[in-house]
Amino acid sequence: MVVEVKNLTKRFADFTAVDNISFSMGKGEIVGFLGPNGAGKTTTIHMLLDLITPSGGEISIFGKDFRKHREEILQQMNFASPYVSLPYRLTVFENLMVFACIYNIEHPKKRIEELLEMFEIADLQDEPAGTLSSGQNTRVGLCKSLLNKPKLLLLDEPTASLDPEISHHVREILLRIREQENTSILYTSHNMAETENICDRIVFLNHGKIIADGTPIEITKAILNEERNEPALEEVFFRVIKDTKTI
Amino acid sequence: MKIHRIKAVMRRHLYDIRHNIDRSMDVFYWPIIDVIVWGFFSFYISTNNTFGPSIINFLMGAIILWSIFYAFQRDFAVGFLEELWSRNLLNIFSTPITMWEYLTGVASISIFKIIIGSFTASLCALIFYSFNIFPHILLLIPYVLNLLFFAAAIGICITALILRYTTKVQILAWSFAGLLQPVSCVFYPLSSLPQWLQSIAWFLPTAHAFEGMRQVLTDSTFSSTYFWWALILNIFYFPISLVIFKKTFEATKIRGLLVKLT
Repeated sequence: MVVEVKNLTKRFADFTAVDNISFSMGKGEIVGFLGPNGAGKTTTIHMLLDLITPSGGEISIFGKDFRKHREEILQQMNFASPYVSLPYRLTVFENLMVFACIYNIEHPKKRIEELLEMFEIADLQDEPAGTLSSGQNTRVGLCKSLLNKPKLLLLDEPTASLDPEISHHVREILLRIREQENTSILYTSHNMAETENICDRIVFLNHGKIIADGTPIEITKAILNEERNEPALEEVFFRVIKDTKTI
Repeated sequence: MKIHRIKAVMRRHLYDIRHNIDRSMDVFYWPIIDVIVWGFFSFYISTNNTFGPSIINFLMGAIILWSIFYAFQRDFAVGFLEELWSRNLLNIFSTPITMWEYLTGVASISIFKIIIGSFTASLCALIFYSFNIFPHILLLIPYVLNLLFFAAAIGICITALILRYTTKVQILAWSFAGLLQPVSCVFYPLSSLPQWLQSIAWFLPTAHAFEGMRQVLTDSTFSSTYFWWALILNIFYFPISLVIFKKTFEATKIRGLLVKLT
């Protein structure tokens, strides 16, 4: 297993953001982390990156205890989110060069150019990051996340600020990388169609708890409680919200 | 500690100096302006024979060494603030970089900036006021190191406060050194302070460093007493600052504040 999470919990004073969740991810698997706002998706991702210390539970990545092997594990992981920016005065190339140096990448210039080409933003390499549109900024963040050819990639709403065509292109890149490098990807999104399209498996969270874990069709059947031939995650999402409100 | 990660932090700040006029001003502008203004002042009082020509040495030496101390503690905290302002903290700390590597990187680039800034200021003092600090450099280095040591301790504590209280306390990066200046006896001897303030000043490595500096500039002798006092105090303060920082950083991650800083 690439990721094994057991009884992971995060409490902030009286509020439990993540409540005793357990899940795992296999090699080359794309797992969708779904749930309404405040479900605990981002908090879980932040715990997997050691940005938030869990209140309880265990995280094992690449078969190693995350707390004990933090540096070794993070060297083989990466992360992207459109809600995080890069230093705005530095050019795109300079920003990526800084991260290439952190990961000690061989031939960093070549790797950066390769990724900028891949995301079709090679013409932006000398532009200061602060002058980019949110969509361009997201793509630079994705370039950053692939610099070290991660074995585990955590993507927090990676296509949130992209237009449908670029989103499609990004998904294609991610699928290609999974195929070529066997990268495992944990993917959060509010775009249900996109999630159905790209994810092998879905972990559905609500109020910090996992309410369903399975393939998109399994999740659909389990939560809608009826026989279906096609996944319908948007319906699932509305059902979860409705049930929560009723409760 | 991995050297390539420390170099990456230095690279990030070097790029910033290249693009950011504020940071370039920190390196060159203020040290030069300070030397010019204080140079005119000391030249004026020395020619009026109030204190004799040695006043130029005292004031010029003081302003150069104080600039080193002030710039180091400021650059330390501002280096971290830069990540905060650019909302880059999550990107940085989701990499394998450790907090110690990050701090070492910021300290290294700050030292690099100080060397350039103080060399330029010293050159200005030599050109405009014939104050030559260079023959005294070897004797001054132990005091400068003590100043850097203490500035790092303060910079680390201010960074810890910024981690905990965010940009609400960012003003400390520029203002805290000013609070220490009167008791650090930068421009006057320790003996000129009232007795009760002298007792406080004895607990500041800066006060001993500036006393030592005056002795070097007056009769070119090195006072090991001042040096050891400053060093012993630093050996006490510096680990405390590291512990404060470590505890604050851990508490920040437990409370989830690190992700809220962006």
